[in-house]
Amino acid sequence: MARVELRNLSKVWDSSVAVNGIDLSIADREFVAILGPSGCGKSTTLFMLAGVYMPTGGEIRFDDAVVNDVEARDRNVGIVFQSYALYPNMSVLQNIMFPLRFQKVDNPEAKARDMADLVQVGELLDRRPSQLSGGQQQRVALARALVKRPNLLLLDEPLSNLDATLRLTMRSEIRRITRELGVTTVLVTHDQLEATTMADRVICMRAGQIEQVGSAEDLYLRPETLFVASFIGSPPINLIAGEGRNGRVEAGDQRIETGQDGQLTIGIRPEMITVAETGLPGTIRVVEAMGREILYAAETNFGLIRFLEATSQPRWRDGDQVALAFQPEQTLLFGAEGKRIADHYAKLGVTTDA
Amino acid sequence: MSSSKFRQASNALLFLGPASLFLIGLLLVPIIVDLVVSFTDMNQTIKVDEFTTKQFRKLVKPSEEAWFGFELRSSFYRALMLSAIYVFFTLTIFNIGFALVLALTTTALPGRLGGLFRAIWLLPRMSPSVVYALLWLWVVDPTDRGLLNQILSITGLGPINPKLDAPIMVIVCANGFIGASMGMLILTSAIRSIPEHLFHAARADGAGGLSVIRHIVLPALRWPLSYITVFQFLALLVSFEYIFLIMGPARSTMTMSMLSYTKTLAPDTGSGQYAYGAAITLILIVIGMAVALLLWRLTNMKQLLTQPRIEVQ
Repeated sequence: MARVELRNLSKVWDSSVAVNGIDLSIADREFVAILGPSGCGKSTTLFMLAGVYMPTGGEIRFDDAVVNDVEARDRNVGIVFQSYALYPNMSVLQNIMFPLRFQKVDNPEAKARDMADLVQVGELLDRRPSQLSGGQQQRVALARALVKRPNLLLLDEPLSNLDATLRLTMRSEIRRITRELGVTTVLVTHDQLEATTMADRVICMRAGQIEQVGSAEDLYLRPETLFVASFIGSPPINLIAGEGRNGRVEAGDQRIETGQDGQLTIGIRPEMITVAETGLPGTIRVVEAMGREILYAAETNFGLIRFLEATSQPRWRDGDQVALAFQPEQTLLFGAEGKRIADHYAKLGVTTDA
Repeated sequence: MSSSKFRQASNALLFLGPASLFLIGLLLVPIIVDLVVSFTDMNQTIKVDEFTTKQFRKLVKPSEEAWFGFELRSSFYRALMLSAIYVFFTLTIFNIGFALVLALTTTALPGRLGGLFRAIWLLPRMSPSVVYALLWLWVVDPTDRGLLNQILSITGLGPINPKLDAPIMVIVCANGFIGASMGMLILTSAIRSIPEHLFHAARADGAGGLSVIRHIVLPALRWPLSYITVFQFLALLVSFEYIFLIMGPARSTMTMSMLSYTKTLAPDTGSGQYAYGAAITLILIVIGMAVALLLWRLTNMKQLLTQPRIEVQ
């Protein structure tokens, strides 16, 4: 359907920079997710793709044609909004048919009915949006966005108003539908799970800039920056900040070998930490049963360290003494600028006064 | 009576009392007084000698040929027609039509500029009626000093006398320019309460400016528009102050409310016929009620009052 390319794209509001020169290529039929905290410029980017906002710098290209000055109505883009934005005075069928009003198509009603069947709202065509549940409204919004066979489908936090179970169903539904139609899709979300489960590629944004582009696995296991490491993953990654001297970070009688000096941050995911015979001594302070697993937090010389155990019955209680261990290759090391120092790992040192 | 019941009753009295007194004292009692007075012979002396229907006989006369056995007397018929024309054109052209145009254009303008234009339109409402009327007198002045004639003289057209040649147009415009601002305010806030995403969605769906107005804005304005229609209809039906201030007791603009005013309270116009004025007012009240109920039915306003009608996500 369409390749999309952003070149040095930026959007400046009166006093603030929302998007600060981003470059990105999206392949035809690709499903990408733009992930980031609120205010990172992800929705602004989406609305620039839609033609709702005009960029203040850079270029947007659809299949090599610059579309910066092309109005929303002429871009052939479908959008699903967080609020769904269904027209309240129209029935479901009229909502889905609305985009076809402005195109010369034969038998628009049949097309709308087909699309309604595809998103499974064929039974609800005479209802008003106010008579639909959140999930049904979501499907109608999707049908309306897709009925004109857009070059590009834009999804703005489409699942954030749904309850947890429905969100799970809609994630795979949206994936199925976009794949079936082969439409290039950009999803904007602050939910990492949504981004990583639905998209082929995830673009992580922060403060108007792209931090990292990659697969879900890249972002999780090989984050390039401290921000990506801390934004992705739940429960969040353990971050130990310290000053590296003689290739190690010390706290009291404990030390972690880093092989690097200067301002360092060591990142270790909670599920990579195990309780062992020997290791970093800690006192259990928090026990949280999360269903399949238990999240603990132990007080150590390096601060509170979170770790997970895959049991449903807690093995430790508040105040228990444990020794924490981890594999060096599962650690991440970040330098002063918050950039990851590749191929360098952290390793627990031998207790100095042992 | 138990103490909680007593408290309930006293609370009800406390909360509803002032409003009830207001309703009864300022709305219900005057209607009853009007009803009683209209069937008397009260005049300047404010004395009632007899109860009679003669006031109504000044308005209608028995007739074999007419529909209900009554025929409207010409002065009354004329007042009725003038009222209808005046209310209809002021309502449709200005209070609704122009208010809608103002609301649509000023909301389309960027924030500050739109606000400025709306503030300008509110100015006449803020100025005293007499000042506003004096301005209109200057605008339609038949001599070379009149604003309209000054503008016309630039284009080479001769002076005109609107008060003589188009009296209804003068009172429609004078009331309309001031009346449009209320509709403008209500419609502006209604337009602003439409979720912005609906506009974005419509644009992305391929809608142009006019389609957005037709499919997104107008449906959202249905309820405010019916409210303005009913409210302004009733207000216009009984309004006379600008007509009186600009036109005086002229026959050409003697609407029902003007007739009632000039026959009773207006100075130096053969006033003091209180019972006659009351009869005219009674007819105005009946017309107002009938039309309000009809519009109520037509626009299904019961629904408007039972639940909020502007849907916001």
